[in-house]
Amino acid sequence: MAIFWRVLSAERLKISKSFIWLLVIGSPVIAVFIGALANMEEEGRPITWQVLLGVMSMAHALLFLPILTGIFAALICRTEHVDGGWKMLLSLPVTRSSVYFAKYTMVMGLLAAVQLLFFVALMGVGVVRGVDGPVPWMLFVSSVFGGWFACLPLAALQMAVSLNWSSFGAPLALNVSLTIPNMLIANSSTYGPYYPWVQPLLAMSPFGKEKFGAFNLPMESLMLVVFGSLIIFMAAGLFSFWRKAV
Amino acid sequence: MKETVIETRDLVKEYRGRAAVEHLNLNIGKGEIYGFLGPNGAGKTTTIRMLLGLIKPTSGSIEIFGQGLRRNKLQILRKVGSLVESPSYYGHLSALDNLEAIRRILDVPKSRIAEVLDIVSLTGEEKRPVKGFSLGMKQRLGIAAALLGSPELLILDEPTNGLDPSGIQEIRSLIKRLPVEEGITVLVSSHLLSEIEQMAGTVGIIRSGQMVYQDTIAHLQQQAAGDLRIAVSEPEEALILAGRRGCSGTLQEGRITLPRMSDARVALLIKELVENGHAIYRIEEHRQSLEEFFLQVVEGGQSL
Repeated sequence: MAIFWRVLSAERLKISKSFIWLLVIGSPVIAVFIGALANMEEEGRPITWQVLLGVMSMAHALLFLPILTGIFAALICRTEHVDGGWKMLLSLPVTRSSVYFAKYTMVMGLLAAVQLLFFVALMGVGVVRGVDGPVPWMLFVSSVFGGWFACLPLAALQMAVSLNWSSFGAPLALNVSLTIPNMLIANSSTYGPYYPWVQPLLAMSPFGKEKFGAFNLPMESLMLVVFGSLIIFMAAGLFSFWRKAV
Repeated sequence: MKETVIETRDLVKEYRGRAAVEHLNLNIGKGEIYGFLGPNGAGKTTTIRMLLGLIKPTSGSIEIFGQGLRRNKLQILRKVGSLVESPSYYGHLSALDNLEAIRRILDVPKSRIAEVLDIVSLTGEEKRPVKGFSLGMKQRLGIAAALLGSPELLILDEPTNGLDPSGIQEIRSLIKRLPVEEGITVLVSSHLLSEIEQMAGTVGIIRSGQMVYQDTIAHLQQQAAGDLRIAVSEPEEALILAGRRGCSGTLQEGRITLPRMSDARVALLIKELVENGHAIYRIEEHRQSLEEFFLQVVEGGQSL
């Protein structure tokens, strides 16, 4: 465990001087623009917090969150792929699993920062533009946390790919090509519930009562899909990293 | 008997059935500078990567500090500093941050960074991003990183590759200083004999994955020593005379060629020849250069 914290601390230093923070603020900023341009009245009455969350989270959860997961994983591994970092890092007294989990924690930490900023953006737009009714705190917390939670398996898969492929572009291409079908799959009640890339959207969307396509889902089934794919992707990633020849 | 730091037994690494390293038995004593010599592609880097646990051997065992590498990898690696092939670094970070990233993992005091920067004389450059460094500076930073954890064993793979003569000179004197000042054992690989000859005390020569020679540099120089050639007025008769005195030789280009012998025996033989009326024009010792000898060994022309 001590090794994990030491590697994590080194990982923090490695990304501290990069422009990764621009990516962290990117999607929340876009969500602010969408929120600022959104129609704030429905049938003459101001919209509710639920509708605002739905409007602002759509592009964020459908596209940006899964894609950012892939970009973060690729960036965290890129520092080692260029200029022989793997050789240097793995000939230090570290276990491969501690390196894997430190890097995985970095990816999930960056995604947590994205979600927190999204939450701030949501509250800001709501307050400035005047949304009807009290703030539904429970919904917001479960939406923001659920979106993050649903990224766990995606991050595990992207880590597995980025650790093993020295190319920066290939894991991203894979990531994007798995994310784009979200637009169709989200509306399918047959495939939607089982497709890991669409889970962030399902977890973040506020349409609990409107029920259409894959949105008609209890939280338990979402958890099951997320956990199942997480275990598979993480086991594959760890196993291949243990065996990786450096 | 000196304490052994690295010992490998029957080390084998195969890639798709082709052996990169075959039954390698390395034996490196404490405080030595061990030169690991061989042409490119002979298996030096493969061996070093196995010693650092970066790749797994197909078969055979590795013991470092008397402990098996597989079971005690972390304890062993804590006491090993290494530089494998081209220097590794994080280009967007300064030299200081590069060392700090490694320091956080090794958990050594912060003051150690200034110390290693001073050892490789990079003090004053530590705030610049490493991607702007020259190859020599990157190489020195790599050595600084290897020294950061105050290792007992330093493994340097081709540390002078791609450096200019002054850079080579600098790294060489640095490597030579380490065992004396800090009691560090050094394993240094190279494809240049002249390089190793000036640094190492013991040398191991590897050819297509197999160890073909492992002994001290002094012994290697002795083996490479050549023969004695004497030009005389009547070579055939002189050769017979020498043969009768127990110095059997051959005739090459009209000169008597004899194996190396002691000064006293040379003196005696010459006296004998002169007394028997031979005119001696020239006596020369033909030394095979170490480089020629090395080439013979690695090309398989000579078995040892």
